[in-house]
Parts: sequence; structure tokens; C-alpha cells
Amino acid sequence: MSDTNTPRMILVREKKSVYMHWFNAGIRLLLLLTGFGIISGELVRIVPAFWPEFMQGLFGGNDNLILTHSVLAMIWIVVFVLFILFNLTNIVLPFLKNVLVLTPSAAIRDVKSMIINLFQLFGLMKEVQIPPQGRYNGAQRLLGTMIIFCSFALAFSGLYLFFGPQFLNFSENSLYGAIFRWALVAHITSVFLVLTGIVAHVYFAIVEEPECLEAMKSGYIDVEFLKHHNKLWYEELKQEGKV
Amino acid sequence: MTKKYVMLADTTRCINCKACVVACRAEWDTPIGHTRDWVKEVEFVEEGKPQVMLFPGRCQHCDDSPCVEACPSGAAYKREDGIVLLDHDICSGCELCVGTCPYEARWLNPESNTISKCTFCQPRVDEGLEPACVNTCVGRALIFGDMNDPDSEVSRLLKEKEWQQLVTDEVSVGPNHYYYTAGQSIPDEVKPKVPERHLAGKTMEIINPIGAIGIAGMALAFLGAGVMKFIGRRNEVSTSENKEEK
Repeated sequence: MSDTNTPRMILVREKKSVYMHWFNAGIRLLLLLTGFGIISGELVRIVPAFWPEFMQGLFGGNDNLILTHSVLAMIWIVVFVLFILFNLTNIVLPFLKNVLVLTPSAAIRDVKSMIINLFQLFGLMKEVQIPPQGRYNGAQRLLGTMIIFCSFALAFSGLYLFFGPQFLNFSENSLYGAIFRWALVAHITSVFLVLTGIVAHVYFAIVEEPECLEAMKSGYIDVEFLKHHNKLWYEELKQEGKV
Repeated sequence: MTKKYVMLADTTRCINCKACVVACRAEWDTPIGHTRDWVKEVEFVEEGKPQVMLFPGRCQHCDDSPCVEACPSGAAYKREDGIVLLDHDICSGCELCVGTCPYEARWLNPESNTISKCTFCQPRVDEGLEPACVNTCVGRALIFGDMNDPDSEVSRLLKEKEWQQLVTDEVSVGPNHYYYTAGQSIPDEVKPKVPERHLAGKTMEIINPIGAIGIAGMALAFLGAGVMKFIGRRNEVSTSENKEEK
């Protein structure tokens, strides 16, 4: 006889996806801490002056800090590229298919459901029904799409910021310097966008939907939670005979 | 007491021999067409007679250096003794600092691909020597020293004569270079220009506060949501406990 209080769990995430998520989170945190320590000038600095001073002191100079940040970023890029190459069809493409918001109509639909979701956090629009969601809800899809594009921007701008001055003769062509300056803008903007989204991501994982956090730790999720939050996905899994 | 290095230029003693420029270029081996110091000639007519004023110039080692503020990597920095320096190991040559200098003292060195400018000959100064330009100035128009040392020549001269800095109402960034003109006003030609920033630099000035406000706003909003959730949950628990008691 089954215990009715024990939630019925199903496996929805492979271990390697779980490890990849936490690797990504950890290395991005380190990149954030080191990156905020690099940018020093008053007019371009993002955090209070004590942080660059502390970090540069800790690493024995900004040159060491820049090198650490760059090596971490390259590890991040290499691991991601390898993960994508080895899991393209079974994990990456299905993930992209589920998460990417590429058309205006999809964006409008997801923005609407995200707004309802956010308003409901503050006790507003309680009577408005959120349309049934698939594996990822509107807010998750928008966040996912933003993070994917920002990650490309971070990787390419970061590679140019590190390798550009080493391999290009900036005095030969003023375009090289201009690209560097705009790469810096793109890098910083992407960091801001990702951080803004991460605040919501962390809040939902910890406060609103700890079931999702559990799924990101063990790979298993409560079927009842799926039925309520991801109805379309639940139906899909039911059709496939997985629940 | 901490040292504060300043440069004095007595324009009445300058003969435009450019020995200072030659000495600087020899000391720093600057590429052809580039120099860290210069002498600007300003011609004008006074009471029907042609006149010329000579202004030896270089980085003014400003107290509020706009170049230091604009440098993203911290390659441009100011030492405690007031000398503005550049760490060539981390300078990317992005030129974000170049346009911000009101004295146009910074340039991209085509050989090193990093920014060059006057350093008051910091390695010489650290050895107790004078900057190369001062050492070679035949008319003793250039005088260098520690203005915090009351016995130094610069302290004495600063008290004896009326010196002017290259500042305007619009641009006043605390230059540590003083000029003696024997009462003549500073001509417009040598006055500081309003710092210009690359569009990318201006964009960062806008993006940074927006980004910081956005992140702080999100954090506050979700903190509020969390508090509301906590209060709602507490009310739910106390309501159900009250029901059970009844």
C-alpha cells in the first residue's frame, strides 16, 4: 500500500544537466565577483570602490585578477562547448526548442503570463487565470532566452576584451579600439541583464517553487506540482506514459 | 608628511629651445611624431607690437584626474605623491581616457599599443633625480619638487611669485602644474578643453546607474514579495490553529 502523504516523483532531468546547471551557477558567481573587481575607473565602475580595491589586493594586482577572470571564463566556454557538442540532440536542442522565445507573438504571450505571475506575487490579479504552461512557463522562457543571448554576448565580447589587445595593433586601425569599447559596453550590459533575471530566478527557486530547486538537485519533481504548474507538459508526459 | 610633486613653468624664462622635448623623447624613446611634452607658442599683438608667449606643457597630474576616472581596468592611477601613472601590463589601449584629458596629454603609443603620457619621469624621481625636462632646461624655466616640503625650491617660488593653473570655470580638475606669466592672463589657446568622452564611455555612464537601479529594484521587489508570502503563511497557520482550538 502506498503512503498518500509521500509525493509521487518522476525523473525529469539527467544528472549531467544538474551538474551543468550548478557548474554554470558557480562559475558565473566567481566571474561576477572577479569581474566587478576588475572595473576600476569612477565613471565606469559598477560597484563601490572598496570591492575593486579588495579584489585587486587579494589577487596581488589587477593583472592577476584579469588573468583569473579570463581563465575562469575560458573554462566556462570550453565546458559549455563540449557539453553542447556531446549532448546536442538529447539535451541541448530539446531545451532550446522548449525555452527559446523567437517570435513576437510568443514574446507577447510569455510577457502576459509573466506579468500575471508577478502581479499575483503581490496579491494582485488573483482572479486571472494563467494559461496552461509547458515544461517552462512564460517567465522562465523569457529569462532563458535572455540568458542564452547574453551568454553569447558575454563570451564573444569577453574573448575580444582579453585577446584583442594582445593580438591586434590598436594604433593601426581605430576600429579595433572602438570594437573594444563597445565590447565593454556589451559585456557590462549583459551582466546587468543576467543579474536582473537571476534575482527573480533565485527567488522563485527558494521561496515560491522549491519543487523546482529539488528537481535541479536530484532530477526528480513532484507530479502534483507538474499537474498544477506545467499542465501542458504533464499532459505530454501522460501521453508518453511517463506519469 | 606625504610628498606632493608639482611642476612650475616660468613662461618668462622659456626660450622655446625645446631642449625639454628632446630630453623627454630621449629619456622615453618616444616614437617618431609623438612626444610626452611640448612647448606651445601663442602669438598676439599688444599695443601694436607682436608678442609671443611660450607655454611648456605636459600631463598636469590633476588631483581629480578625468583619465583615472575613465580607465576601465585601473591601468591609469594616481600615486599618493600626486604623480599620475599608467600600468602598461594592464592598459588595453582602448583610449577611453584619451579624450577625457583636458590638456590632450595622452596618446596611443603605436609601438607598445598602450597609452603614453608624461610621468614626471617617475623612475628618475624615485631615485632622487629631477625629471629629464627639468634637468635639461637651459633657462631654468622648469622647476620640479615637493610642494609639501616648506624648504623646497617650488614651495619658495610658489610663495614668492603669482602662479596660475590652466583652469577655467568649466574645467577645473586640480592640475599640479603651475605657470608664471608675469601678470599676463592665460591665453585661450592653452586653456583646458572640455573633456570629451567616446560614445561607448557615455553609454556606460548611462547603463551603469540604470543597471544598478534595476538590480536593486528587482531585489527589493522580490524581498517585498517574500515578506508578503511570509506574512500570508503566518496568518494561514494562525487561522488554522484557531479553528483547531475551537
